Amino acid sequence: MPIRKRGALALLLGTALVATVTTGCGTTSENADGKAEPKPCGGAGGKYTIGVSQANVAEPYRERMDADIRQAATAVPQFTVHFADAQQDNSKQVEQVENFITQQVDLLIISPNEASPLTSVVKKAYERGIPVLVLDRKVNGDAYTSFIGADNFDIGRRAGEFVAQTLLPGGGRVAELKGLAGSSPAKERSDGFRLGIGGKAIEVVASADGDWLRDRGRQQADALLKGTPGVQVVYAHNDPMGEGAYLAAQDAGLSGIQIVGIDGLPIEAGGIKAVEAGRLAATFVYPTGGKEAVDSARKILVDCQQVPKVQGLAIERVTKDNAAEVYARLNAGG
Amino acid sequence: MTAWLFRFQSLFGLVLVFLAAVVFSPVRNGELLFLDSGNLFNVVRAMSEIGILAVGMTFVILIGGIDLSVGSVLGLASVGAAVLLVRQDFGVLPAVLAVLAAGLVFGLLQGVVTAKLGIQAFIVTLAGMQIARALARIFSGGQGVEIAYGDAPGRAPTAFSLLGERTFGGLVPVPALIFAVVAGLAAVLLRVTAFSRHVYAIGGNEKAARLSGVPVDRVKILVFGLCGLLAGLAGIVHAGQLNYGGPNDGSMAELDAIAAVVIGGASLSGGRGTVVGTVAGALLVGVLRNILTLNNVDSNVQLLIIGLVIVAAAGLQRLRPAAVG
Repeated sequence: MPIRKRGALALLLGTALVATVTTGCGTTSENADGKAEPKPCGGAGGKYTIGVSQANVAEPYRERMDADIRQAATAVPQFTVHFADAQQDNSKQVEQVENFITQQVDLLIISPNEASPLTSVVKKAYERGIPVLVLDRKVNGDAYTSFIGADNFDIGRRAGEFVAQTLLPGGGRVAELKGLAGSSPAKERSDGFRLGIGGKAIEVVASADGDWLRDRGRQQADALLKGTPGVQVVYAHNDPMGEGAYLAAQDAGLSGIQIVGIDGLPIEAGGIKAVEAGRLAATFVYPTGGKEAVDSARKILVDCQQVPKVQGLAIERVTKDNAAEVYARLNAGG
Repeated sequence: MTAWLFRFQSLFGLVLVFLAAVVFSPVRNGELLFLDSGNLFNVVRAMSEIGILAVGMTFVILIGGIDLSVGSVLGLASVGAAVLLVRQDFGVLPAVLAVLAAGLVFGLLQGVVTAKLGIQAFIVTLAGMQIARALARIFSGGQGVEIAYGDAPGRAPTAFSLLGERTFGGLVPVPALIFAVVAGLAAVLLRVTAFSRHVYAIGGNEKAARLSGVPVDRVKILVFGLCGLLAGLAGIVHAGQLNYGGPNDGSMAELDAIAAVVIGGASLSGGRGTVVGTVAGALLVGVLRNILTLNNVDSNVQLLIIGLVIVAAAGLQRLRPAAVG
């Protein structure tokens, strides 16, 4: 077997014109293919390495997710956590998960960039006996240990209901600032919203792609508000775009426009503070699940317990009434 | 000897980085993780899409051009393959040929605009980058297209999933083989044909090439066509590897490809560079990224290091004696 492997290796590297590097290879062997038994639980006496594969850290939401994981993990002395950032690139994320498999991490936490492209590599890790916790965005099938996350469709619906019941009970005109076209949360937050306002005399009169970004949100809102008169509410798929819309409305001298965002990050530059300051009428907390993931990891590795296959996270509405309280609560303890 | 060193700087760089990776490899159960064959082939698999793009980019850079559209064309091609297979019930061969043809035509058109209208390649392909991205989003209906396999309508033929497989004892990823074949063919094309002499001549001095009877416009158009064709191929490999056509996929891949070519020793002003260098450049980045990740180096620090490698490679080029070919 090692000989055949070495031959195949030499063949490829040779064709790729780097034959010089093959000398000294073939000192390793790989575990047998197929399903491996899950490793026996090591309990409280063990040391565990956890690999975290993050879709990107360019978004504050995901940065906060990593921070939540990091903070929760400091409370578990047995854990060492390594982070990888896929920079919104499906191929890169597959590669990084492969690396964690090579490193034989004791547990994998992954927040996939997109579901389908990551499914098979997550399955591979799972079948090698590595417990896998999937955060925020799902993978297909059921080859993982537990999914932890909130529901984008549901959070859109809640936002729609809030607009219909609280902001525009008598009906009205709404503009929508969407997330990156082609990303699944953008579609789900849009579809959910339409269900939430369904049956009411509320019309989405204009919509544009803000790519999840504050500056794009401002630019697009600027054009929307000028091009479509009579908009009363702006629904932004995340808080940064909502903040952008606020700036655009200020700029255009439109003071009566109410803005609803999503994510509710409990950070200084996040949505909860924006609600507290009156820039957003409301936001909805989309929990990162970082703390919950570490709790699950502790249950699996240290306490030798099972965790539920799906752990849904509660969505919370934040308005001026409860903003300060929610902010304090989400930042209390780890 | 010095000349040879400069000519194949990226190969030496690759060997150096490889040896450093062996030295710094984490050890598990008495074995070096980096040298694990599964790990090595994973490096080549992960770089194969960028490598295929970079081979096409080498030709464009050799004539003193640049192609910023390849990442978007990769995304468009991945969406195209997925849509044709899943929604239009194409067979594997017709779908692959249609996507390759689309990539080729896209590249040829950029070549025509560049050569015949005399607009800089940077501008033309910057526009091409936006257009291909827009087409990918329109064509997919703004949603990633998942590829499921099977015989029923709405499913892709199982043969397409071969692109995500490994072969030769379950070891060599098919994308790596495709990359190797593409690189081999391109290296031959660039060494032994009249076409290659024309390419180097245009990159060296376009006016002189034109005066000495080189069909400059035709060669330019063909070079952009080849680059588009390979971007289409990379998109097909991408779709097959991930079972997914993503309208946003491949963004920034053009920059990774350019980086591989530059680290490979090519000059952005044209006329100098080799396919061997580019392949070594791509593998160098892949090995570097792998060993840094195996050692859990922070991703931002990784970006920093790869940036420094690009500067170092370009800096070495400045030191290179002018006489070296």
